[in-house]
Amino acid sequence: MSERKIIIGLEVHVQLNTKSKIFCSCSTDYNVEPNSHVCEICLGMPGTKPSFNREVFLKAIKAGIALNCKFPSMTFFSRKSYFYPDMSKNFQITQYEIPLSKDGFMIVNSNGKEKKIRIRRMHIEEDPAKLIHESKDISSSKYTLVDYNRAGIPLIEIVTEPDFNSLEEVKDFFGKLTSILEHLGIYDSDKFVMKADVNVNVEGAKRVEVKNVTGIKSIERVINFEVMRQNTMLNQGMILEQETRHFDEAGGTTKKLRTKETEAGYGYIFEPNLVWYDISSELINKIKKQMPELPAERIEKFIKKYKIEKEIAYSLVYVDKNLADFFEECTKSVKDTVFLANFTSTDLLKSLNFEKTKIKNSKINSKNYTELIKMTETGKITPRLAKEIIKQMVKTGKPAKSFLSKGFKVITSVKESDKIIVKIIKSNKKAVEDYTHGNEKALDFLVGISLKESNFKLKPDEIREKLKEILSKNS
Amino acid sequence: MNSIEFIKKVNEGAIDIVKHTESVLESCKNIDKNYDCFITIAEKSALEQAKEIKKRLSKKEKLPLAGLPVSIKDCISTKGIRTTAGSKILENYIPPYDAEVILKLKKAGAIIIGKTAQDEFGFGTFSTNCAFKIPKNPLDRDHSAGGSSGGAGVITKKADFPHIAIAESTGGSISAPSSFCGVFGLTPSYGLVSRYGLISYADSLDKIGVMAKSTKEIELMLNQISGFDKKDATSLQIKKKFKIKKEFKGMKIGIPKECLKNIDKSVENSFYSAVEKLKKQDIKVEETSFPLSKYVVSAYYVIAVSEASTNLAHLCGMRYGLSDKLEGGFNEFFSKVRTQGFGEEAKRRIILGTYARMAGYREQYYLKAMKVRTLIINDYLKLFKKYSALISPTMPVLSPRFEEIEKLTPLQNYQMDILTVGPNLAGIPMLNVPLETKTLPAGLHILGNYLDEDKLLSLGSVFG
Amino acid sequence: MKEDIKKISESSHLILTEEQLDKFTNQISSILDSFKELDELDTKEIEPSFHPTIRKNIFREDKVEKGLSIEEAFANTEHKENNFFKGPRAV
Repeated sequence: MSERKIIIGLEVHVQLNTKSKIFCSCSTDYNVEPNSHVCEICLGMPGTKPSFNREVFLKAIKAGIALNCKFPSMTFFSRKSYFYPDMSKNFQITQYEIPLSKDGFMIVNSNGKEKKIRIRRMHIEEDPAKLIHESKDISSSKYTLVDYNRAGIPLIEIVTEPDFNSLEEVKDFFGKLTSILEHLGIYDSDKFVMKADVNVNVEGAKRVEVKNVTGIKSIERVINFEVMRQNTMLNQGMILEQETRHFDEAGGTTKKLRTKETEAGYGYIFEPNLVWYDISSELINKIKKQMPELPAERIEKFIKKYKIEKEIAYSLVYVDKNLADFFEECTKSVKDTVFLANFTSTDLLKSLNFEKTKIKNSKINSKNYTELIKMTETGKITPRLAKEIIKQMVKTGKPAKSFLSKGFKVITSVKESDKIIVKIIKSNKKAVEDYTHGNEKALDFLVGISLKESNFKLKPDEIREKLKEILSKNS
Repeated sequence: MNSIEFIKKVNEGAIDIVKHTESVLESCKNIDKNYDCFITIAEKSALEQAKEIKKRLSKKEKLPLAGLPVSIKDCISTKGIRTTAGSKILENYIPPYDAEVILKLKKAGAIIIGKTAQDEFGFGTFSTNCAFKIPKNPLDRDHSAGGSSGGAGVITKKADFPHIAIAESTGGSISAPSSFCGVFGLTPSYGLVSRYGLISYADSLDKIGVMAKSTKEIELMLNQISGFDKKDATSLQIKKKFKIKKEFKGMKIGIPKECLKNIDKSVENSFYSAVEKLKKQDIKVEETSFPLSKYVVSAYYVIAVSEASTNLAHLCGMRYGLSDKLEGGFNEFFSKVRTQGFGEEAKRRIILGTYARMAGYREQYYLKAMKVRTLIINDYLKLFKKYSALISPTMPVLSPRFEEIEKLTPLQNYQMDILTVGPNLAGIPMLNVPLETKTLPAGLHILGNYLDEDKLLSLGSVFG
Repeated sequence: MKEDIKKISESSHLILTEEQLDKFTNQISSILDSFKELDELDTKEIEPSFHPTIRKNIFREDKVEKGLSIEEAFANTEHKENNFFKGPRAV
């Protein structure tokens, strides 16, 4: 990917799924009319004071535990001062000197090996408002539209050391982080998208910070672009300074940002409207005891209990927690958990992706699904047929049986299958000729179209045998 | 009639509260014409409140502050009533919510008659930094009424009707006007009264307090407005009711000798007369020392301006307050609005405060001052182990003339607060007791330990 | 010092005339000089007091409550459009 070593560090912002905002009682549901979940506090009106949501504190501690972080005995909030149209108070209440937790780590997959990504710190802060620029381009807009529904949504900021050396590691980190936070029940990936400041440089260049990148796809594009840009510039003998850039979604490029405040300009002070918060070892232990099953443990359990392969278990757990939940629910009524696991992590998942939906929002339920699986287990339908049925089930929500009545049964009658194969041979003279001249691929072709013709009621290896039989007879 | 008798009569049904409020409002307008103490006289809402109270009384409700006219310093948010904090940048701001203290007052049946003039955001000792009008001393209009709660001082002194003022102190803004205007002024312990709705000057220093003509009235009001508010995380979880007790047996009071340095002769004389009066109550009074006196002004101002500079950031032309046409980028827009909207002292403090907390200077100024604050608090606590209270003059001078004030440098202005910033920094309660001199009033400042407001009021009751 | 004051006034979004800049520089210099007297005190082993007395562990329960209506939220500004607040350009 790169001719030089790549060094990446991330600052990830995750919105916690509390009911109310971090410092006021407004709802965190911000997919509503603009400025309809606001109050004098999150609008930063004169005289208002913040009121700290206990659930934010507890959820953040859970995240710190899951990321193997250490906790101080007490923490507090600071004011980070800077002016921007999305800031209700022109200071952000965040944590500076004593973050909620620090010195943690996450294990990621690096080329089949395990690698430790160190987490420098994880702290709590508030989200600013949402800006919509009057024209598509921020610099030519006459004004900005501001929606304060988002102002005050609780965030945790996770800062890693620059330990990443490839995009794959970054992607694995994100997948794992999402899964961990969802398993903790503190983050909803279908409601909120993670944002990150991406610090990336190739060896020989200075660190470049690309701010406010939304979602893993954009992060991927940013990293690819920066690596290419920096390599190109170095190859041309240019010197690269440390700088801050922003990502232009439309163009897929990064652009230099005007120098904003540096740490020096933030003028941090202790937030005098809030207090000190104890993080006792009793509290940590209490929370640890109540921690739900985390992805790593769950994968181990899947492997041992359901006898499935590591990659499959990985897939089930990390792609979507709800899928793993669904899978476990189904294991109660199914014998062949290996098949169930395979089918779920491949065919079901593919069908869901095709319909651009997730298991949570899909029309599939465990009853219908296990029915389909059981039919495959007993041989009533072929796995190939099941693949087709699940697509239809995801699309329509109808049970598997309804597709059988349309004639989706396995053809066991020899006469019928012969009829189909003969028809195929007759209408594909060229392929038959190629095969008889030794082209094996032509046989595959004929198998394929026979399958289609039979609406997948036939088993592929049986078709192949039959074809060979007929064709060899004829040659 | 003082407030307490008045409230009793109103609850008994002996007073037509609507008529009374009408005449109070007329008085306010007259006093304001001559002394410039109100930024807003809340005529419409006061009469509405009076009608409300009449209804409640007819339902036999007993209201602890029934019909009492109360003035509110203009930095305290009053729903539907313009609230400016003395600044042009909030000239037309109408809060959509009530401060907690206002909710309490309304519940208790008080009537808010108006918002009193003040130095912009509390920045001042003479109310000369008010963007709208400068309150005049009630005894001599060429002299200052003190600040920053100057308007409150004036109306408390001049009201010819039962009245109690709600004011605010960060570094001495209740004590100074109380002293200069000749009224009682209590600055409660930090956290005793909820700050929710108080437009912040410096959140670790701001306190809402009371000004009145007598200690009894202060006691009444203090018990109404104090108490825990979950909307203010710094408010104290206590349910104490404060009671004046004229029992002084065994009380020992200290006079830190440093407080008597460099004070006017007339202030000094009135102070010693007050000391004699206390001694007559069988109270032991002796000299003591508060060696950190020298550092209180610096420690206070560093912290105050550091916090204030962040508190004023939200005023930038968005969502409320003074604004401008949306032309140009945000830097231009914010700068235009803020430059127009803030007075000189506000600008100076914003710059000072930003300096004191920026990287490279933060250790030396902001963090250092916070540490010195610890030393100051510790010294006070040590003294309170020995003494029930500490006393000093409230201000080093009698109220100066406006021309004299104009000649002061900013630093000289700050140094005027030398006797009030110490207890304000420590968050301990303090009471100004009005003292007479041959000319303008002076003040006796009584300091107590946290939550010793009853001791202060009891001592103050010796004088009124 | 003058450069510092100029930079700070810009980052605090205050436009000072040359005259004001000079005046402020003088005044602020002397004020800061007087603040330096705090260095005379030994605070090496001293913890800062961010409040007069230490306060801890005040939380609010995670309950949703009604906030401001659209009318109340927008009552104090003219800068609004279709239930959005209008602000200046973000660069």
